[in-house]
This record gives sequence, structure tokens and C-alpha cells, in this order.
Amino acid sequence: MKQVLYILITLLLFVSCEEKVCDAKQETAQPQIYPDYVGVTVPVNIAPLNFCMVDETALLVDAVITDSHGHNLHSQGEESVDFDLDDWHSLLAQNCGDSLLVTVSAKFADGWHTYSPFSIYVSPDSIDYGICYRLIEPGYEVWSKMGIYERDLSSFDERALIENTQFEGCVNCHSFNRGNSADMSLHIRGPHGATLLRQNGGPITAYNTKTDLTLGFCVYPYWHPSGRYIAYSTNSTSQVFHSADSNRIEVFDTASDLQVYDVENNELLLSPLLKQDSIYETYPVFSADGRSLYFCAATALPEGSHELDSIRYNLCRIDFDPATGHFGNRIDTIIHAEAMQKSVSFPRPSYDGRFLCYTLSDYGQFSIWHHEADLYLLDLATGQSRPMTEANSDDTESFHNWSTNSRWLVLSSRRDDGLFTRPYFCHVDEKGAVTKAFMLPQRNPRRFYRDRFFSFNVPDFIIGPTDFDGRKVSRIINDEFRENFRVRQS
Amino acid sequence: MKHFTHQSSFFTIKALYTLLFGVAVLLFFGLAYPHHLHYQEQYQLFLFDSAYLWDIVKQPGGVADMLGRFCTQFFLFAWVGALMIAVLLMLVQLLVLRLANYGWLYGLSFVPSFLLWLFLLDENALMGGVWAVLLTLLAINVCLLMPKGWGRRIAILIIIPILYWMVGPALSGSHYHRYPTVTPSLLYATWLSAIILPLLVRVCHKWVSASRPLISHLLPLLLLIVMGTFVWKNANFKAEKVMQYDFMARYQQWNRILETINAEKPNNQIGVTVQNLALGMRGLLVDHLFEYRQNGIAGLLPDVQRDATSPLPTAEAFYQLGMINMAQRTVFEAQESILDFQKSGRCYKRLAQTNLINGNYEVARKYLLALKKTLFYSEWADETLQLLGNEEAIAQHPEYGRLRQLSYTEDYYFGDSVTPEMLETLFFNHTENRLAYEYLVAYYMLTGDRDSYEKLLLQLQEK
Repeated sequence: MKQVLYILITLLLFVSCEEKVCDAKQETAQPQIYPDYVGVTVPVNIAPLNFCMVDETALLVDAVITDSHGHNLHSQGEESVDFDLDDWHSLLAQNCGDSLLVTVSAKFADGWHTYSPFSIYVSPDSIDYGICYRLIEPGYEVWSKMGIYERDLSSFDERALIENTQFEGCVNCHSFNRGNSADMSLHIRGPHGATLLRQNGGPITAYNTKTDLTLGFCVYPYWHPSGRYIAYSTNSTSQVFHSADSNRIEVFDTASDLQVYDVENNELLLSPLLKQDSIYETYPVFSADGRSLYFCAATALPEGSHELDSIRYNLCRIDFDPATGHFGNRIDTIIHAEAMQKSVSFPRPSYDGRFLCYTLSDYGQFSIWHHEADLYLLDLATGQSRPMTEANSDDTESFHNWSTNSRWLVLSSRRDDGLFTRPYFCHVDEKGAVTKAFMLPQRNPRRFYRDRFFSFNVPDFIIGPTDFDGRKVSRIINDEFRENFRVRQS
Repeated sequence: MKHFTHQSSFFTIKALYTLLFGVAVLLFFGLAYPHHLHYQEQYQLFLFDSAYLWDIVKQPGGVADMLGRFCTQFFLFAWVGALMIAVLLMLVQLLVLRLANYGWLYGLSFVPSFLLWLFLLDENALMGGVWAVLLTLLAINVCLLMPKGWGRRIAILIIIPILYWMVGPALSGSHYHRYPTVTPSLLYATWLSAIILPLLVRVCHKWVSASRPLISHLLPLLLLIVMGTFVWKNANFKAEKVMQYDFMARYQQWNRILETINAEKPNNQIGVTVQNLALGMRGLLVDHLFEYRQNGIAGLLPDVQRDATSPLPTAEAFYQLGMINMAQRTVFEAQESILDFQKSGRCYKRLAQTNLINGNYEVARKYLLALKKTLFYSEWADETLQLLGNEEAIAQHPEYGRLRQLSYTEDYYFGDSVTPEMLETLFFNHTENRLAYEYLVAYYMLTGDRDSYEKLLLQLQEK
């Protein structure tokens, strides 16, 4: 019995063994930490911002977070600090709308160094429950293991919704109606190809979205706020590879059109204005009020031309009447990117109707493979557009979307190493002021991001855990039944 | 006393038979099948990393899978791999032997091990399967060691779920074969034989316990010969030859390749690709092209296929030519094509190298840090990590410095096929790129493009 007691005491001492920061050299600079959380604005319900020292020779890293009420939170670790989840949330809740001061010390071979403190601002605007994304290796044409996953933003919990171990093929383009998985669209590619649709929390049905009157399978879905319609594009997509360019891959369309799917009537709504042979139309999204359809459009390349760097997409808009499903008879160009020798992709209107965020690159529409791609913010009230310099980096920024309260943006960025896409978040206030982007927190961020050879593909907000039974869905996928999309021409 | 001596000598002979069997397995995999082992090793990456191990072990069958993967990393050295297989198959035989008193049917205890040997002839059969059989036999032996009655029943109740966790469901979902859709019937036959044969012997106890010393000695010998012949007949030596070419290309054994092709001209796609690469590396391709079997331009630089095997020698050719982005893409696609979603030490290494040459140091670092967690690639990874960002050291490096110089400076788009324009651009970018010259002229020769060849000669004269 005594022996057990000794072992327990030893274990306890070992577990609680923390070194006191003493005789530290005071540094005037702020610490260089990974991920860079210095001066960021975070939502009150975000998971602990654990971090490591950029300098990997650090033997220990120590952080003390203090607030203006005298509370503090301490963590020390060999590689990363790891704040207690409950204490972290309680500290953030107590400091909603206020700043926290983080004092970092690191122990190196020559002893402790204490850095100039930095602040973290706790925004009163909360963020949605989580994000949903696809994990896939950033490759070329062949895929290995992949799947659709969701992550609780207030903790470190990740859950696989479906993985390609459950069926033969690939899964992509998950889409929810304003983060609500009651309305969802998900594509399966390969021998069991289908589009899985669920409306209003009903059962999931597998559809064949290819029709005689459209180019191919429906891709790039975006839900109408009413939940009755989904905007899709149909794209004939190809890939080529660069022999000597910092961008590896060029993904491009040789034809593309738009259509809106009426979920209630199982009908694709077509418009001749949105399926012009001389125009590539892609990335359709509904405006916040559901009365407009924004999309990207470029002049089609002449047949046989390989001048991919001359394909430039403008941001366009067409009226849409949700009552009748009719399109307007005029296309407006909202951002004439071609005139700037630039190209727009991934337009995403904020749900409050104030802004539209989009990606701007030198050419093309698959901006994730363009190192120069950056995010821009269009003020829909003034029509003025500006780069989101505060959130952008020197490397790729690409897919993004808004939280349901329109105050947070999740964005894909390759700033970490130039290849693997990571999710970042930034705050956008009602005036359009943007804050520095911060990386999705992890318990041990260096280990997590270094060991994971996946890109976070199409990260999008979800308002709660996704109602999704992967086993049941894989049975639907593996079953041969597919309901066909019908077509209604206007 | 006489009985004791007889028993003792039979015991010695049994040990000798087991040893003989082990030596046969060792020699087979070490001498006749070594490249199958190399092939196995290159389609997995065993990491000494808690998260990696937990991901494997947490699945039903994870323990067998992990032990299998652990062993497979040693297949980088064929003799070590052969020794491991030999020891494991000997253990299986000894554990089967412990399950019953076989009497003169003692030779039957070799049947499951022989079936496992047959199973391992398939290059996609995984060592996890062998471990699954071994662990099952260990569990049965442990149960039988328990005294009869409640103790044994309780032990069985405890062992069954543990065994399920360790070896997984017997008929599906476990990591016994690289093709998830393939049913490893030989493995199931092994399992069945390992259980049914001892049971049968126990049932026919009286019949088998009769003293038949001659048969008891001859039967194992007969089995060794019959089943050994069966193994030999079922071995895929054609595949072994292809794997040998791939192995030699991987380790850039150009002289050995030339010796091999001179002894026997390859007649398969991979062999021809490797043959041409070795000829090119030694500056012999143009002069001796048609002395060897060719397969049109598909034997020079074949179109990139969506599988894990055939693109790797082509990727080696791309790399040596200085077509770094093509090499990178081809290796990446090959790795992604590994059917059981594993990674490859060979591919990680090459991806680190191509990223290093391209100056993508952070991406190279990611691959290198993963390789640092391996047993046999960590030293190389450590050395290569020192090069990252060190432009001077890279420029002076005999391989990376040269390839960085030879690689394209002018950008163009490429797809699955190599065109003569790509080789022309490569060659005229650096006319000292002898391999590019060899491949370009070989391309003209294989396509019968005399005009382009004469044009090339003219251009060279003008230079």
C-alpha cells in the first residue's frame, strides 16, 4: 500500500513539475510565436490559442495571460503552452470586449528570456459552433485518403463526417445553407458519383445532376437563403502543370455555365444569359436577400488556345426572382477585374448584405494554386472595393466564407509553408474594418500542422454539430439508385 | 531409457526440421525474392511517432497491422526482411505444433506456415496478416496453458475481445492485403488449417499416436519438398525481375543495370524504361538504342499512369534529366495511388529533394521532419535538413546543384505525356545536359523524325 502511495506522489510531483521563470533577461521585442497570435482579435468562444516559440531551440515556453480585473491564466510547456480549456473560456467570458495581456517567457540554453507583452482583443461578437472542411493532400489529379470533417471551434474536437475509406471515390463541395446542415449538398465523384442533397432536415437523397441540356455534373453549390434553391455551375475542368513557375498547377475551365436548382420541384432552372458559349460563368452565389445571383464570368478562350494567363474573370450579377425562379434579362459587371489585369474568384456576400468578399489573382479562377491571390472586400453600399491587407499575407489566400452573424470570416491561406492550406479567421466590423487573421487553434499547433499532410479544403462555418450518419450515407452512396435532375428552361 | 533416447532424438530432428524450414524461407526471400521485400518497404512509412502509432493501434486489427508495418520497414535490407519472415513462419509452425500431439503426422504442423509462405508470394500481401495468425495462435496457446475449468473459460472470455482488438475481424476490414477489395483467401486458409489440423489430430488421437517412426520422419521431408515445389512454382519471378529494375533505378545502380540488361534484355515497360535511363546516364543511349528491345517512346518516357508502381522509374528519369516539376508530380501521384493510403519513404525522400531543388524549403522541411521519425531515413533527413536555405551548399552539392542548374528556366504547361519540344527546351536551356541530348535524339530515332534530328545537328553546328 505504501509503495502505491509513493508511486502516486511521485507521479503527482512529476505531473505538476513546472519550472519557475527566474533571472529572466528582459527582451524589448515581442515574442516570435507560432502561430502568430500577437495582437489578434478573437471571438469570445474560441478554443485556447496555444502556441510555441518560432525558435525551436527553446527548451521551455511559459505564458501568463492577465486581464484588467487581476485575473490570470498560466501555462508552461516544453514545446507548446496548453491552456486549460475551462479556465480559458471563463477568462475570455470575463473579458468580452476587452483586451488580455500575454507575457511570454522562453527558456533557452542561456537561461530565461521574457518578452515584451502583447495583447489579444476579445471581441463581443461570437463565432459559429464550428467549421466543416475537406482534408486532402494538396496534389495533382490522384487522391489518397480524404474526407469531410467538422471541428468544434471552442475546443480541439474534430470529427469525420465521411471518409473515402467508406466508398470508392472522392468527396467534395460540401455546402450548407448559412451553416445549417438541415440544408446540405455534397458531391461524390468516381464510380459511385452522385450529389447528396438534404432539405429542411429531411432524408438525404442521391441525385444524378447531369442532364442532356447542361454541360455535366453540377458543382460549386450555394444555397438560397430560403432553402428552396441551390445555385450550381457546370464546368468542363482541366489541369495542366507548370514546368518552371512558383505556381505548380493550373486548373481551368474550357466551358462552364450556371443554373439554379429548385429543390422543391426537382428542376434545374436555366437561362440563356447564364450559359453562353463565349463566356465562362462560374462560382454562383445568392445575395443576402436572395434577389440577385453573383457570379464570375470570363471571355472564353478561342478553341485550341492555351493562353490560360489571359483568362480573367469579372464579378457579375443578375436578378433572380425567388417567387417564380425567373432570372433578370441583364447582366451587370460589378467588378471589372479584367481591366485591372486581374481575375475574381469565390465571391461570398456577407449574410447581412453589407459586404462581399472575393479572391483576386492574376488570372484564372482556381486561386488556391496562385501564390499572388489575395482577399478583397467589396462594400455593397458604396461599391468600393479594397484589399483586406490586414488579413492577407505574402502567399495564397483563397476560399473564404462568413459566419452567420457576418462578423467573422474563415479564410484558406497557404502562408504557413506555401503549399498546405490552413484555416484562418479574421473579424470584420460593420464599417468594414478588418483585423489580423489568426490560425485555427490546436492543442499543440506545431506538432499538429507539421504532422498533418492535408490541406483544409473549403472551410465553411457550421452552426452546430452536423446531423450526418456517415455509415448510412455510405450505404446511399454505394447503392445504385440516383434520382435524376429535371430541367426547366426560362 | 531407450524410449527417452528415442523421444530426445525425435525432438532434435523436429528442431532440425523447423530450422531447415526457416533456412529455406530465409534463402528463398534473401536470394530469389529480395526485390519483393524492397517493393513492400517502399509502400509504407513506419514512423516512431505516438500519433501515427495510435492511429494504427486504435483500429480493430491495429496491433497486428502495427507489428506488420514495423517488420516491413526492415525490408529495406532484404536479408534482414528474409530473416524476419523466416523467424515468424518458424514461430507459427512451433505454435501450431504445441496445439496437439501430432504423433507420426508431425509434418502437418508445417502446413499453416507453408500457406503463409504462399500468401507472402503476393507483393501486396501484408505482414499484418502473418502477425494476425501468429497472435491468434499465441492466444490459443495461452488459453490451453490455463487449467481446465472456470479459469480457462474466464481466460477465453477475456482473450477474445483483446484478440479482436489485436488482429481484427477475421473476414473483413483488416489490414492484411494492400487491395482493400481483395479477400486474402490464403490467409484464411492458414487460419483454418492452424485450427482444424490440431483439432483433427486431437480427435484422431489414438490413430496418430501409434509409433510409425519412418513415416514420422519422412512425412515432414515429403511435405517440405512438395510444398516447397508448390511455393517455387507459384512464385512470380517475372514480377521479381521488374522489381529488380525498379530497385536498381531507385539506387541509381547504372552499371549493375547495364550488366543485367546485357545478360538478359528486358521485355517489360519498367525494364525498358530503366534500361534506357541507365544507357543514357552512361552516354550510351544514342549509340546503342536499337541493340536493345524498345517500346517506342513509351519505353523512353512513358505517359504517367495512375498507379503506384509504373510511374516511379519514369519519375527517376525525369529527375535525372532535370525535369524537376515533372518528377515531383509523378512521384506525388504514385504515392497517392498507394491503395491502402500509406505513404512511402522513397517518395517522401524524392519529394523533399524536388522541393529543395525548387527552393520550397518549408515544404521540403515537412517531408524531412517526417523522415526524421523513421529508423532508416532519419540520418539522411538530418543531413538534408542542414542544406535547407543554404544556397551556397546547395549550389555546391553534386546532385542538387547540378539538377538546379539543369532544370527549366522557361515556363510551359505539361500534362501526362512528354513531347519532343519539352526535351528540346530542356536541352537548349543547358546544352551540357548530356542526358537531355541522349533522350532527345533517342526520341527522334524512336519516332523516325529525321527532319528534327537534322535540324538539331544544324543548330548544334551553329552553336
